[in-house]
Amino acid sequence: LSHSGGTGALAQWVLVELQGEVEPRQSRDLSESLLGDLHYTCEGVPVLIVGHHILYGKVVQLEKPFAVLVKQGGAPQPSPTEPHGHYTVTALIKTKLLFKTRPKPIITHVPKKV
Amino acid sequence: AAMRSRAEVDATLQTAKVNPAELLPVVQCLSFGPQAGGGECCLLQLEPGLCAELEAGRSLVIRGEKDEHAVLCSKDKTYDMKIADTSNMLLFVPGCKTPEELNADPTSCNIIHSQIAGFSKNYWELRRCRPKLKKLRKLLMEDPYEGPDSRKDQTSTFSKYTTEDLFSLIQASEEEILHQLQVIDACKIEGYWRILDFDYEMKLLNHVTQLIDSESWPLSKVPLSVCLEELGSLEPREMIEHILLSYGRKYIDDAGEVFFEMREDKICRAIAQMLLRNAVKFNLSEFEEVWQQSVPEGMKTRLDQLQGLALVDKSSRPETIFLLKVEDLPEDNQERFNSLFGIRQKWTEVDITPYIQDLCAEKQTVGALLTKYARSSMLNGVKVYNSRRPIS
Repeated sequence: LSHSGGTGALAQWVLVELQGEVEPRQSRDLSESLLGDLHYTCEGVPVLIVGHHILYGKVVQLEKPFAVLVKQGGAPQPSPTEPHGHYTVTALIKTKLLFKTRPKPIITHVPKKV
Repeated sequence: AAMRSRAEVDATLQTAKVNPAELLPVVQCLSFGPQAGGGECCLLQLEPGLCAELEAGRSLVIRGEKDEHAVLCSKDKTYDMKIADTSNMLLFVPGCKTPEELNADPTSCNIIHSQIAGFSKNYWELRRCRPKLKKLRKLLMEDPYEGPDSRKDQTSTFSKYTTEDLFSLIQASEEEILHQLQVIDACKIEGYWRILDFDYEMKLLNHVTQLIDSESWPLSKVPLSVCLEELGSLEPREMIEHILLSYGRKYIDDAGEVFFEMREDKICRAIAQMLLRNAVKFNLSEFEEVWQQSVPEGMKTRLDQLQGLALVDKSSRPETIFLLKVEDLPEDNQERFNSLFGIRQKWTEVDITPYIQDLCAEKQTVGALLTKYARSSMLNGVKVYNSRRPIS
């Protein structure tokens, strides 16, 4: 049964919200694989290039920030219904990048060889 | 996998027909970190005030046994936890920079590699709730304290609870628990929280009221020191002081002496409970007579002292009164109403209020509860409430 803590200031992370599922291009698992490039326009609009899609989004200051909880001690996966167990608050999230517009597909030619 | 280079990023921009001149110079290449798929991180949406508490270094605790719904407790509040599903993918990225941060920190690098620490399709939502304190009384009633002479304590195998035990077992914040311990007149004996057995409590109260009577003290000025002196041979000093604290208001006079102003309503109420315990119900007028005779000299009994303790049945001839303690009723709103409508089909607002008052959430009124859980009708020109559903 439990909770949070940590000495020193809590880290501030950012949430990136995407529509739908995120799947790796190759069939290997998600770890270590690239999601995409995150740019901002000069006006501060986030632009995310994921695979063959280009996503435009917006920066949102969260009315209700999130705390990121990390389960402690190699216990079995937290069930989605009951959060029993030991948790530590690792970070706070006050900002999110929301990509809600439908992705624009990138029509590719053969990519330039670098 | 090799990290992306700026050149690769630029090539992608070109393919995507995005004009680099319209972009800030820094790109953040996001990839999934090694632990990302592990599902060990989850998101908790914070209600107002909780974020500030965390930043101030204070803790939040998740409490609940396997058979209970988990709640989250801050130092002084309790929240229900519920999973909220979104249809979207939420990625958490440490060190991801916003446009403001990039503009504020002109670095020479034009590429940052950031790792996604985890992702989720859902998060925990919080909703402020009443602390679940019924269990506190239940635990302490497992083994009420019957006094030092009771053999029970020596041979008892019942669990006894320290403050820390209670903090871990009760789904409420520490402040809410400590406050409730005071409300129910619990006391600490040998490091464990105990509730007094009612008969023992009445015995202690009786010692005090008899002493007040024999000393002819005014009810508003009962001296602690004399009580301890006179009664110290009969009962432990801590118990004498405890009963004075429970049934009186402590104050210190100009000379620094400790006195108690006895609480008339609470004493009358306790004596009523003592009388009512002995039968299923009583003839109301007989009860009122005996009750007035049983309370200390100078105290006046009134039926409104018995709110949430006893109920008068005005429909029976003669009118009767019976014990009904709100703390014996279910804690859950719907179950409480079911139970009340099982006892009596139709209630006036005046009668039912003491039995539902404690269910009110932070800004909720009794009226709002009645609208939600009951149906109203008129009976002989009086508004009454009954169940919304048939009671079996």
